[in-house]
Amino acid sequence: MEPIQLPEWTALGPALLLAATAIALFVVDSISPRSTNRNVLAGIATTGSLAALGVAVWFSMAGVGATGVDGFGVIELFDGQFVVDQLALYFMIIVAVVTALVVVASYDYMAGHTYQAEYYSLVLLAATGMATMAAANSLVTIFIALELASLPSYALVSILKDNRGSVEAGLKYFLVGALSSAIFLYGISLVYGATGYLQLGNIASVIEAGDAAAYDGLLGLGILFLIGGIAFKTASVPFHFWAPEAYEGAPAPISAFLSSASKAAGFVIAFRVFTEAFPLEATAGVIGIDWTVAFVALAIVTMTVGNFAAATQDNVKRMLAYSSIGHAGYALIGLAGLSADGGELVMGAAMMHLLVYGFMNTGAFLFVALAEHWGVGRTFEDYNGLGRRAPVACFALAIFMFSLAGIPPLGGFWSKYFLFSSALEAGLLVVAAALVINSALSLYYYSRLVKAVWIEDPVLERDALTQPTGLYAAIVVAAVMTVVLLPGFGPVVDTALEAAAAIV
Amino acid sequence: MTVAIEYYVLLSMGLFCIGLFGVLTRRNALMFLMSVELLLNAANINLIAFAFYHGNLTGQVFALFAMALAAAEVAVGLGIILVLYRNFRDVDVTVPTTMRW
Amino acid sequence: MCVGFEAPNVTEMNDWIAIGALALVGLLIPLGMMAVSYLIRPSVPETSKRATYESGEVPTGGTRVRFNIQYYMVALLFLVFDIETVLLFPWAVVYLDALESDAVSLFEIMGPMVVFVAILLLGLGWAWRNGAVQWAQTPRQVEADRDRP
Repeated sequence: MEPIQLPEWTALGPALLLAATAIALFVVDSISPRSTNRNVLAGIATTGSLAALGVAVWFSMAGVGATGVDGFGVIELFDGQFVVDQLALYFMIIVAVVTALVVVASYDYMAGHTYQAEYYSLVLLAATGMATMAAANSLVTIFIALELASLPSYALVSILKDNRGSVEAGLKYFLVGALSSAIFLYGISLVYGATGYLQLGNIASVIEAGDAAAYDGLLGLGILFLIGGIAFKTASVPFHFWAPEAYEGAPAPISAFLSSASKAAGFVIAFRVFTEAFPLEATAGVIGIDWTVAFVALAIVTMTVGNFAAATQDNVKRMLAYSSIGHAGYALIGLAGLSADGGELVMGAAMMHLLVYGFMNTGAFLFVALAEHWGVGRTFEDYNGLGRRAPVACFALAIFMFSLAGIPPLGGFWSKYFLFSSALEAGLLVVAAALVINSALSLYYYSRLVKAVWIEDPVLERDALTQPTGLYAAIVVAAVMTVVLLPGFGPVVDTALEAAAAIV
Repeated sequence: MTVAIEYYVLLSMGLFCIGLFGVLTRRNALMFLMSVELLLNAANINLIAFAFYHGNLTGQVFALFAMALAAAEVAVGLGIILVLYRNFRDVDVTVPTTMRW
Repeated sequence: MCVGFEAPNVTEMNDWIAIGALALVGLLIPLGMMAVSYLIRPSVPETSKRATYESGEVPTGGTRVRFNIQYYMVALLFLVFDIETVLLFPWAVVYLDALESDAVSLFEIMGPMVVFVAILLLGLGWAWRNGAVQWAQTPRQVEADRDRP
């Protein structure tokens, strides 16, 4: 297909580009320390993330990792420690897109902050970790990539050093994160003890051969601990309670970054570990319980907790944080439906939802960033009547809100529709019902924000609002993509389904 | 001469429980950090013991990586605790409550 | 310290005997040293010997003083670099084997480690340039710092 012959390691190109960008930022900061030349720094970061995005899209289109006729086959690197398939590239695209949006928006939001270079390089390092998570194929690389994504995130959440909310958010995020990564590591050690391998494929073959039957307790406990670690990264019950704190206190672009890219990266780990390492029947034979049951329960509880808590919030950012927990519940359906026939449809639908969510949720948090930039306040009442002052941004906000709620014909509707129909096909009636009920409930609090912005009268008359270029550009791009993504791009749907089918 | 693998697992489980107890009861952020280190080292004991048991080196090498990651985590954690002290004049994790749910 | 054992007859318990013996030896050595020094040292009681430092400094204040933030910076750098050396071990283990085999070239075995160390050095250079290892500040630097929020 392509006449260019690239060496195999370039398949990790998107992750390598992100890492190179982070290093380039460090070099720039070493040459001229304490530089606050935002044009250069944000420019480098934007170029790097867009380049990573371009390479990931190109690879995905060219069929790198695809197993079809015109594909290059799944590429295994470093003795199978990394694997580049369609799933990996799909999630690399999500991470790169969100990173690019966040970096562009940060140009205005972080204006006047002292640690510019540090901020951008931390964002890029975290993005590197998330992109590596997408390709990691062994519990070792998964854990290292997870930490590479987490450690910069802790620092980013608390980067407003003199803002008490930011520091408190960083502390809580760090405490829960450190605990859950320790639990995750312990789970890895138990799985290693039961099977003797850390590579996902080898674990699966040991379990299938029945050699792990003597260690059923270790394996079961290990899987439970792994679910705990993944629940933290995806902000699902029972490790969800850091999310509202961290998202509320963090700088809004970082909230967008964590709730979209970091969540997606957590899900790619969940998808890969549970489909590759723990084959359903064989694992159920060893530990005596079907692990999809755990995900069915987690999905229902997570979406219900997230949506009910979101409905009671007065603070917009906090409402979005809880709604992001609810959406983690929707995406968990992808794992819950694996036991039935057509499991790859459910997982593909969950992956589509994560991509659309990457745009609409990032956009929504970036609108909050814009509101913080204007300094209008944090509650629904403070947002009253913004529509008259900034119609473009508020129109985009309406798109994000209705898409998050799942109103046709926006992207969020299509992904939820796919989730719903494939869950029905897989026989998950309870989950499908919970999805519909929660979506209906979510319409209440999403439309409340739209109503505040467009219909309510402002509490006090405000002056004309500025129009920061970077934030506006990011919000408009996110809005356009939210509208056209699923109905407009048939290939996206195909890619998601293909990527899901590759690992199921 | 070897000690049966069960005893290693018991040791690491015991260490894990001590660490978990510390995490759940300590209010001092530094003590919390130490408890997390206990949890990580419990996992390291498991990894090394099982590496010996299964006769491959994977677990041992991973334990080295886990140690390096734990050090990096402590570095970031101490930085956050430092700014916590600057802002709240305390390292008690229950003091910062500007946000409530 | 080298502890040897006869070939044991009881195969079940010998592991535990070894561990118990090691623990016993570990306890006996410090206790023995303290006991020996207690027996042979001359006893000349004097109040200044009870002071925390016998170097002539009179200690003032409590022990819970706060240290300069610079100690933290240096400790942090030390911690990171100290721990990163453990990552050299697995590489060093396979280095000679890899050198002898024809399957991997010198570039392939050295390359990753050179990149790893280069990234570490870059980090050190960054920390240096940003003043993490700067112990004292000139008045002009203090002034420049004050402007940074």
